[in-house]
Amino acid sequence: MSIQVLINGLATGAVYALIATGFALIFNVLKFSNFSHGATMTVAAFVAYFLVSAKGYGIVPTLIIGALAGGLVAFCGEFIGFRRILKNHSSATYFFVSSITLGTLYEGLVTIKVGSNFFNYPQFFEKSTVELGKVVISTTDLMMLIISTVALGILAFVIQKTRIGRALRAVSFDRDTAQLMGIDSTRIIQFTFVVSGVIAGLAGVFLGIKYTLYPSLGSLVVKGFIASVIGGLGSLTGAVIGAVLLGLVETLLLSIMGSGYSTIATFAIMLVFLLLRPRGIAGSNVQEKA
Amino acid sequence: MALLQNILTQAFITVIAVCGVYVLTGLTGMFSLGQAAFMAIGSYASGLLVIKAGIPVPVAILIAVVLAMVVGYLIGYPVVRLRRDYISLVTLGFGEAIAALLNRMTTLTGGASGLTGIPRCIGLEVATISAVAAIALVAFFKTSKYGRQCIALRGDELAAKAMGINVTKIKMIAFILSVALTSYSGCLYSFYMSYVDPSGFGWKKSADWVIMVFFGGVNSLTGSTLGAFILSALPQFLRDLQNYRYVIYAVLVILIINFKPSGLLGEWELTIGNIKKSIRRIGRKNKKEER
Repeated sequence: MSIQVLINGLATGAVYALIATGFALIFNVLKFSNFSHGATMTVAAFVAYFLVSAKGYGIVPTLIIGALAGGLVAFCGEFIGFRRILKNHSSATYFFVSSITLGTLYEGLVTIKVGSNFFNYPQFFEKSTVELGKVVISTTDLMMLIISTVALGILAFVIQKTRIGRALRAVSFDRDTAQLMGIDSTRIIQFTFVVSGVIAGLAGVFLGIKYTLYPSLGSLVVKGFIASVIGGLGSLTGAVIGAVLLGLVETLLLSIMGSGYSTIATFAIMLVFLLLRPRGIAGSNVQEKA
Repeated sequence: MALLQNILTQAFITVIAVCGVYVLTGLTGMFSLGQAAFMAIGSYASGLLVIKAGIPVPVAILIAVVLAMVVGYLIGYPVVRLRRDYISLVTLGFGEAIAALLNRMTTLTGGASGLTGIPRCIGLEVATISAVAAIALVAFFKTSKYGRQCIALRGDELAAKAMGINVTKIKMIAFILSVALTSYSGCLYSFYMSYVDPSGFGWKKSADWVIMVFFGGVNSLTGSTLGAFILSALPQFLRDLQNYRYVIYAVLVILIINFKPSGLLGEWELTIGNIKKSIRRIGRKNKKEER
């Protein structure tokens, strides 16, 4: 594996890691797979496009608006889709269906606005590549790698070291007990959704820059899902490791056999992985509670 | 009249697919977001067998359904022994992989422009008979030993295991049955439309079916079938609102989940006993009013 492929793989992996952690965060706290995550990315990417980049502002405002839009969408989504179910203590099934429905809703709204057209973010950098010794890296890839790493670092710090992060972990461990200990679990769940939305927004803008903007951009979320399955469902560290691995493997396969078959190959790898080590790399096995 | 016939045929084909989803989601509590990919396998395999190999249609359908079941077994094998979340994630990945593959194998499948030239040999009659047969099959499955075991494990997998139910096996049976039904509906689809392209088999279609099941009532086969019928026939009448269709669906389902989580019909099934009961109830009400 040449250094070139390694670096491209890392950059792809970093974006996948953003997707996977946003997804794993919700899974961690509410124990259901949030299928509206992909559509949240799409909405955020489009909002950032129409409000900012189409008007000629640079990359930084685009990312900020994208992140804010993602947060806002997730905040509203929690209120519309999950608040009442949460209060009724419904089974995870309903969360799941609600998230699928929200996903369809977001995607439908985007389709109404833009049709099924494709959009491109403007060229953000004057120089499209950076040369480091012999290796040529595209500037976008480098930026994605750096910003994703920083974002994940901040997230890890918030979860591990701060008060609200500790509360989040407590709620994730046992919601009712945490509530009894004086933690406002509704507030914490809200917070989790917003954080996951912010990360989704960043990831959405990155995906839009890397590929093109189109209403079903959100289906790329499947990479994040695969990454978190490989890493171990619900584990944040696992999600990051899985995502980086997936990015590397995918870039390698892409350079060997082209885009169509590499999708199949990564899927096959995931199946084999599930067969051999179902609890994922991180080894946290979330069992269905009795 | 031709329009009505067209709408009914498509609605019945959807009903067959949704019967499969009902077995999976309604009875067993698993969600497949790649169910449409099995429909794609059914329609492409049967279409290709007829076009390229000249195999008679019924045999082609049979081979296609068996092929889909084999693929379903391979996908299901690692995931049925895990938490039920995995099956949704894995099937979603599977759906995307199949879509990529169909787009990629241009020489065989025609790529993004689709597979054309499939003989059009299925009409309303076959669709109706098939739909009735599918509903009957699922109704039979629901009341059989397997169906009751499915319902038991949906409620509580651990307790079902403790009662001696082979959870892995039952989940597998339900998954394969649903795959068979869905792929069969795919076969009918291709022989009715005489044209298939990969864009119609994305995760959105699978999500659509889940939504239909929940709209009608996740615990009731009658409700699911009715939901499928209404939600697939309705948009055909409102063609101008094509773009708004998903939004309207989504809003409907969010309302249902929040305010009537058991769906339109709840647990109610259309059986002779239940009809008699409701007739008697109406009769009693009338008598009361007379007094």
